[in-house]
Amino acid sequence: MRGAGCGVRGAMTGTVPLSAYLILSAALFAIGVIGVVIRRNALIIFMAIELMLNAVNLTFVAFSKFLGSMDGQIIVFFVMAVAAAEVALGLAIIIALYRNKESVNVDDINLLKG
Amino acid sequence: MTVIQVVFFLVAAFTTAAAFLVVLAKNIVHCAIALVFTFFGVAALYVLLDAEFLAAVQVLLYVGGITILLLFAIMLTSRISARGVRVMNEQVGMSAVVVFAIFALLAIASLKGFALVGSPPPASYATASLGRLLLTTYVLPFEAVSILLLAAMVGAIILARREREKD
Amino acid sequence: MTQAFNMADLSTALPEVVLSLVAMVILMLDFIVPKGRRDWLGYLSVLGVLLTLMVLCRQWGATQSAFSGQYLIDPFALFFKILFLASGGLIILMSIGYLRGEGADSGEFYALILFATLGMMLMASAVDLLILYIGLETMSICIYVLAGFLKRERRSNEAALKYLLMGGFSSAIILYGIVMLYGLTGATGLKEIASTLTADTLSNPALILAMVMLAAGFGFKIAAVPFHMYIPDVYEGAPTPITALLAAASEIAGLVILLRVFLVAIPGLQDRWALLFYVLSLLTMTVGNVVAIAQSNIKRMLAYSSIAHIGYLLIGVVAGRELGISATLLYTVVYALMTLGAFAMVILLCVGEVKGERIDDFAGLAQRSPMAAAAMLILLLSLAGVPPTAGFVGKLYLFGAAIERGYILLALIAVVNSAISLFYYMKVAVAMYMRDLPPAGLALSPSRPLRVVLFVTVVGTLAIGIYPGPFLDLAKSSIAGLW
Repeated sequence: MRGAGCGVRGAMTGTVPLSAYLILSAALFAIGVIGVVIRRNALIIFMAIELMLNAVNLTFVAFSKFLGSMDGQIIVFFVMAVAAAEVALGLAIIIALYRNKESVNVDDINLLKG
Repeated sequence: MTVIQVVFFLVAAFTTAAAFLVVLAKNIVHCAIALVFTFFGVAALYVLLDAEFLAAVQVLLYVGGITILLLFAIMLTSRISARGVRVMNEQVGMSAVVVFAIFALLAIASLKGFALVGSPPPASYATASLGRLLLTTYVLPFEAVSILLLAAMVGAIILARREREKD
Repeated sequence: MTQAFNMADLSTALPEVVLSLVAMVILMLDFIVPKGRRDWLGYLSVLGVLLTLMVLCRQWGATQSAFSGQYLIDPFALFFKILFLASGGLIILMSIGYLRGEGADSGEFYALILFATLGMMLMASAVDLLILYIGLETMSICIYVLAGFLKRERRSNEAALKYLLMGGFSSAIILYGIVMLYGLTGATGLKEIASTLTADTLSNPALILAMVMLAAGFGFKIAAVPFHMYIPDVYEGAPTPITALLAAASEIAGLVILLRVFLVAIPGLQDRWALLFYVLSLLTMTVGNVVAIAQSNIKRMLAYSSIAHIGYLLIGVVAGRELGISATLLYTVVYALMTLGAFAMVILLCVGEVKGERIDDFAGLAQRSPMAAAAMLILLLSLAGVPPTAGFVGKLYLFGAAIERGYILLALIAVVNSAISLFYYMKVAVAMYMRDLPPAGLALSPSRPLRVVLFVTVVGTLAIGIYPGPFLDLAKSSIAGLW
């Protein structure tokens, strides 16, 4: 059953061109960038960075399919692992910060001072 | 339009809308929920791209792990986030222009750059080959990332644990 | 090639294996050694670094690729691995007394420095974009934690958070550049990318986009203007030894991968990226030097001064070819030595309540400790580039390379910048020699490891300054075969 599903899907994905994926991930990346720039809350900036990483991952997987190489998927796997580690650390830092100072708004932290 | 195209279009629109909500929502909990939807949308796109394993990892890791961590962080700091602080910089109009400029730049460069790429070769996808690659060709990054995860784990514990009064 | 682990591959990575084992042993010993006696873990870590250096030196002169061509042992990698290990060792020595003073002595601190050094070693040997990315992230993740290590200090927390956010942002930008290269060539190996890019793909907009994204992402990592805005706060808030690690090691590691990627993967675009780095270099040194004048906190001043030095280093990248790149290599050593020495002086001045971070704290240092004042003076002269110090020699070769390759204006602006920098470095010297000791000034009692650091950096600075020949030859032989 799985084999049949794969076959049908494999035959039909060809109809979505690479450019569609590239435009979508460009949009996601741009939204992420703007989130980093306009939001003041450290957690939301985090989320925006995750959006950017997802955009990159999507591009990797799309290229991987259209180039017929597995390397792109492998890289996505590693990017995900690193992203998870970064988020865990981010949470730890935010907890430490919160103990000392009851705010996680980056504005109070003067991200762009200096 | 084939079924797949319609599905792609719907998922893409859904993902983009959710991503916008992540960046623009006033309430931080809404941002996090929107992020979950974005992650799901990307996972669905992975399925469309024949990357079932990555779709599963995406759901497990991003939806199950990263968002939960973020929600934890939000709950821990909610007293402050709920307060009526300004949530955005003043230059929203400016940033709309900037976001569009970045998007246009990236999209045009990718479209022009990859105009020649045709339809994909037939899918020869198997999760098993992914695993085999990880432990053969990619064994060095695999080992290196385990060191990275160890360092991150130790670091997260150091930073988050409450300091004992006096040793 | 498809075998999982083969011994030949593993033996090329032996130094890295040794270093990670040492770090793990330190982590475990941390449970056994009681608090207050963990200085020993610091000394043990330094021993581990020395052991790694010994293992590493067996690769002298060798060129060998391993792990399916993703990892390369060559003189270029070896040069930087030795530099990173030496810096890591000196930073651990600096930390021993500092952590005791802060009441935060722990083995984890040393282990994380070792892991960060491991990440840098991976970056030095990476000839594949994936390894390069993972090395970069290993280093960065360790530094995020280390920057926030003094968790009772708000400044330290904020430094860690800022560095994490900007680090994540810049990594995403670098990854976008990587994905474009992957899409264009279907490869992640730097050599493969270069061989796949034919002459008519060189004007491909996606390739130009990849180049710009990579330059911007690496620009964040090496703190080039205009990607520097987070640097002074992070430098100021992080524990001082970690500030030294950031300035002396992590930025150089960023420069190493920048060199590898741009020289090996996209040499065909040299005209374009040389122009890009020309602008970055110009902005970086000018903004760094001009803003440094106004600083009253020495860590912030050194932060801007390090930004300025990154600008100088980029001159060599712009000039390119053997002359420019070897001058850059020589200057990385010079820069690491004098930066480490300057931050060791800042740690030295942490006595009692005085944190030693205001320039005013240097007042009357010559009366308090003539030796320390003399050491600082030598380091300051070197930072400013006055003969007979290493800073002068390094700049001479950098600016000389620029002039040789016809970048006269750039060299001229660099010289003007050096003159500006003399002004703020001498502000510290004037405080040390011309101003009176404040009445509360305590006697300085540098710990023994800190003395070693100061001795090594000052002697090194003078040695390169007076007798630069062998160092320049080493730099030249290290870039042979890089292209």
